[in-house]
Amino acid sequence: MRTGKAVVVITVLLIGALVVSCGPQTATPTQAPPTVAPTKAPPTAAPTQAPPAPEYIEFGASIPLTGKYGALGAMVKPGYEIAVADINAQGGVYVAEYGKKIPIRLTIYDDESDPTKAVSKLESLYAEQKVVVYLGGAASDMHAATAAVAEKNKVPYLGIAFALYSIHQQGYRYLFSPFPKSPAQARDVFEILNASIPKGERPTKVAIFQETTDWGIELGNLWKENAPKYGYEVVVYETYAPRAEDMSAMILKAKEAGAETLLTVPSPPDGITMVKQMAELGWTPKFTLMIRAPENVAWGETMGKNGDYVTIFPGWHYAVNFPGVDELNAKYQAQFGRPADLLTGPAYACVQIAAAGIEKAGTLDRDAIRDAIAAIQMMTVVGPVNFNTDGTGNVLNPLVQWQNGKQELVWPPEHATAPLAYPAVPFDQR
Amino acid sequence: MTAKKGISLALLVAGVAALWLVPSMGVSDSLLNLLILMFIYTMLASSWNILGGYTGQVNLGHAAFFGLGTLVARILYTGGRPLFLALLAACVVPVAFSMLIGIPAFRLRLRGDYFTIGTLALSQILYITIGNVLPKITYLPIADIQNYQLGPRYHIILASALFTIGVAYALVKSRLGLGMVAVRENEDAAESLGINAFAHKLLALAVSAFLGGLTGGAYAYYQTSYYFNYTFSPPWSLEPVTMTFIGGVGTIHGPVIGAVFFVLLKEWLVMKVGEYHLIIFGVLFLLVVLFLPGGLVEAWERIRRVFTHRPAGKIVLSPSAEGSDLSGNSLASERKEVPMI
Repeated sequence: MRTGKAVVVITVLLIGALVVSCGPQTATPTQAPPTVAPTKAPPTAAPTQAPPAPEYIEFGASIPLTGKYGALGAMVKPGYEIAVADINAQGGVYVAEYGKKIPIRLTIYDDESDPTKAVSKLESLYAEQKVVVYLGGAASDMHAATAAVAEKNKVPYLGIAFALYSIHQQGYRYLFSPFPKSPAQARDVFEILNASIPKGERPTKVAIFQETTDWGIELGNLWKENAPKYGYEVVVYETYAPRAEDMSAMILKAKEAGAETLLTVPSPPDGITMVKQMAELGWTPKFTLMIRAPENVAWGETMGKNGDYVTIFPGWHYAVNFPGVDELNAKYQAQFGRPADLLTGPAYACVQIAAAGIEKAGTLDRDAIRDAIAAIQMMTVVGPVNFNTDGTGNVLNPLVQWQNGKQELVWPPEHATAPLAYPAVPFDQR
Repeated sequence: MTAKKGISLALLVAGVAALWLVPSMGVSDSLLNLLILMFIYTMLASSWNILGGYTGQVNLGHAAFFGLGTLVARILYTGGRPLFLALLAACVVPVAFSMLIGIPAFRLRLRGDYFTIGTLALSQILYITIGNVLPKITYLPIADIQNYQLGPRYHIILASALFTIGVAYALVKSRLGLGMVAVRENEDAAESLGINAFAHKLLALAVSAFLGGLTGGAYAYYQTSYYFNYTFSPPWSLEPVTMTFIGGVGTIHGPVIGAVFFVLLKEWLVMKVGEYHLIIFGVLFLLVVLFLPGGLVEAWERIRRVFTHRPAGKIVLSPSAEGSDLSGNSLASERKEVPMI
């Protein structure tokens, strides 16, 4: 009676699986242990009345450290780690409920630039590490996937390196992003051009190369919608799939149409392909806004002179004049030999905000932390931050330009390290 | 009913009841998620096994059925349609699609490697096309996310898994199932005995697509967010093959055992060695095919043989405990007996 035996085997296996799974599960994520042993809390609360405090406040992040967004994730990770180290160096975050400072323990997973893996990592962080705050990775399509997990698990989520606005229109309550969003990027590019370049010299013929991703579609449409309002004409609107190897057709179309401005949001590999092919085909837009790909610090080295004149909305620059930036730059310089990278500052700010939220809430209850973050108004390394009801942050949107192999801050003028270099010198004359 | 059969039935009922009651035992979400993954992979492997294991038509494009199931269910469910309707459509649409490919493929007597490569290519085409046509992420409705309950999802997916195993069991115990096995073993010989190979293969394809679609529907109801083309990606085609071979191809319990083993090992290996787990699974798959073609089911038979001291000649192997290669050819040099399960 083989069926009966099969049934026994299946039942035993399933029950065995259940029992095995009930046991303690180990995780070996990259962890940033506290750099300094926790110090004694200020004696503001009677120790006998406070409940036993946890050893750590658990923060969890899933970051693309490898894969197509690896270069972006590599800028985000040190921001989180340095901020956690700085806070722990002060003894941690004061939590009134326990009457003491508690250090943060940050657990970081590499999601390999795969949104599905990022979702899975966040689930693990919730289930295994019992995190009270999620720190996001990088790139809009990654955040688009993970923000829903935060909402499901009711864990406050602070994410940067994504400008996708539509996530914030889903009605999520736990998502916060101290980072410029698509509507600002779609508006600011034209306002900056009009403010920086005299009428008659402006690059009014626009080519938009729209990546077929959530954010690519969103920003492409917003640019198209905004252009006429500021006196610009979209002469070419082309779409391409991520990881496209041949972009020559759309480049030639833009060249033939006499496009003077290029607006696009390629991933780092696609951005390199795009500019290389533009140089080969001899099309140099007078002005290029290429968000995301040139944020990588290796852009200048990889592209050489072809990488110059390209501008970015990275959300931050090491030259901005806000409290804490110099200290962050010094620590980054000591570790990496250069001032902090573009996404490092916003990442640092996320931890500042989360810590302030916990301190304000006075508890490690996730809902209370969420409410505290929603109401926060504070100064960070990205400047003053507060949040709208949809979780978008009211933050500065600086414009950075590659000039002579360096990322120069060209807007706003009060923070700028160099004026906007315009028009771009043709590729073959650099 | 013999006493032995009665005990087996009682154990089955107790096992199912225990599984059903797991959410009310106050266990962690982590465990529920693990069990849900096991159920989903069980469904995926069992549905693949009907066409690949019992009928010998190795399909490397099962992700097409799974993906279509997720796509249809997700669009209908997020569009406000009732869950039952979404799941039903998730089953029906892949069947319709399977007929579009199955009728010409089987009419043209596309066999072995040609069928396998054809299905792989088709799923890849769908993967790329869906990625281009539907590039945006899909979320569950916000109300569902904010009030997300794992328990009801667990029960629906467990019920779907039991239904899948039940359908597979009923099918292979029937005359149709015998016909499918006959087609797998020797299509020409089966036809010479009056078995309509075309109809049997088509039926197996339809049932496989139906259950693959149901798996997709369950997945779409379970996952909060994913990109539409993700469920058409190659792992959803290759993993059911791996699981079925590891468990025991051409048996009812093989895919279940394979799925449980696969999920537990994968979870553990991912934690320990990250993406290198893919290499480990690849090596494991090769070892199983080469040295243990009947998978863990055969391993169990061998172990039992050692402890019961039963002579090898009297061991009764299930239809494909001997296993088959990727072209559906039997790997066993000598067949003992061919009961259905």
